[in-house]
Amino acid sequence: MSSNSQLLLPRSSEAIVIRDEDSSNNVAIEFQNVTKSYKLFKNDRARFMATFSKKVPYKDVCANNDLSFTIRRGEAVAFLGTNGAGKSTALKIITGVAHPTSGKVVVHGRVSALLELSAGFDGQLSGRENIAFRGQLWGLSAEEIAELEPRIIDFAELGDYIDQPMRTYSSGMKSRLGFAFASSIKPDILVVDEALSVGDRRFARKCLDRVHEIMSDSHVTVLFVTHSSTSAKEFCKRGIVLEKGHNIFDADIKDAIAFYEGKM
Amino acid sequence: MFEALKLIFQENWLWRRQIANLALMDIKKTCRGAVLGWVWLFVKPLTYIAVFWFALELGLRAGGNTEYPYIVWLSAGLIPWFFMQDMINTGSNVYRRYPFLVNRIAFPLSAISTFYALSQFFVFLLLMVVLFVLCAITGAMPGLYVLQLIPVCLIMLAFWVCFSILCSPLSAISKDFSNLLKALSTPLFWLSGIIFDVSSMGSAAIHAVLSFNPVTFFAEAVRASVCENYWLWERPDVLLPFLAVFAVTAVLAVACYGKLRKDVADVI
Repeated sequence: MSSNSQLLLPRSSEAIVIRDEDSSNNVAIEFQNVTKSYKLFKNDRARFMATFSKKVPYKDVCANNDLSFTIRRGEAVAFLGTNGAGKSTALKIITGVAHPTSGKVVVHGRVSALLELSAGFDGQLSGRENIAFRGQLWGLSAEEIAELEPRIIDFAELGDYIDQPMRTYSSGMKSRLGFAFASSIKPDILVVDEALSVGDRRFARKCLDRVHEIMSDSHVTVLFVTHSSTSAKEFCKRGIVLEKGHNIFDADIKDAIAFYEGKM
Repeated sequence: MFEALKLIFQENWLWRRQIANLALMDIKKTCRGAVLGWVWLFVKPLTYIAVFWFALELGLRAGGNTEYPYIVWLSAGLIPWFFMQDMINTGSNVYRRYPFLVNRIAFPLSAISTFYALSQFFVFLLLMVVLFVLCAITGAMPGLYVLQLIPVCLIMLAFWVCFSILCSPLSAISKDFSNLLKALSTPLFWLSGIIFDVSSMGSAAIHAVLSFNPVTFFAEAVRASVCENYWLWERPDVLLPFLAVFAVTAVLAVACYGKLRKDVADVI
């Protein structure tokens, strides 16, 4: 499938995204000169007109600007950067939710993301139904879901609430379920975005232990996005510092943290 | 263009299992929270039919000189309309119904249109069963022409999935567009052949214009199969305008999807 997509090289200005489930490939994620720009229009009307005409003026804002890096299988990498440095956009591109404007993105393996944990659930459905719903979206069979379900419910500590509609959940309960789900489905690539501040201190500790457990499997690649250098140091061996959507420092985690803190 | 077409088919094929499950989930969600649950799927449409039947046949003395009861004719038009109404109001803006499938989970956008249409289509099929019960009660059992319903229903599903794939990205980008479609839903109903017979209006010009309304076509196609007993290809004046509309919608949908699908996640 990847060789096929490579044959269809479009014009140089267009983005190329190659995504497959080949978890034996030595490279997990590769970004080559990836730029993601958001078009800012004056108002909604201008945005609508722009779908029919190229003349409508807009401002280009680059969330990722000529970003390049390679992450090998089994690596644990921290993305460091201030707000607006383009970390979340890069993670969204990796998970496949956002599309790059130009450049080349290669992702080998299935990505599970702990992005904004409380999102991605349907408020009308109960916690248990949401587990089934997300599980089947992830491609699990009914038996696999039935096997994972008690483990997820147990980890999330929801008790009787599991059969209540999720709109009645507190934000902490939603994130607990979100974390329990995303960390239980055995991804090839786990993306963690500031997620470990879930719940109270005891639960946060439990989450950290879970991430450690996942990372002890040398086949799982972990991307970790954070402002906090202590948790980055705890998990990662390598750090990438982003600034204005650009990769400005890429080295061992200690050096990366020193560089990042020196800049602050 | 062809790449976008291929992509739509690929997405829908690869995710077929998820699409089926999501369609069921959507129906479940609609019935959720009410004690009577499933009953409500029928109550609203059946009330509608009863009220229209009361107003039109008993009040305005419509219908009459046909060999089948007016209520069968009326229901055969209104039941597809309920499906089409949902597709015009919600199906045309379906990404806003499932924002988390757009920007939280990597899920193919065209499949959102498909599963929403499927869930509404399922309700439509249940109502069709009610229509056959009604036929049996009134003693107007459909003939061989009823076989025509199978392709008609599938084409209806395909057409409204195309419609949703065409309109949803535009609605996501522009609220004006989604409001426009909502505003058009009532005119599309009254300017269609659902509660009157367009071919008996006596004006060829009006008939020609109204036959380009896809709502008219589906109402007529279901009636042709259930009570009016003719094959659609015997009536090119009904079939051809619709095929033209279908072709244009499909081409626009593919073009629009190819162009806009990457922008949708940025605006939802």
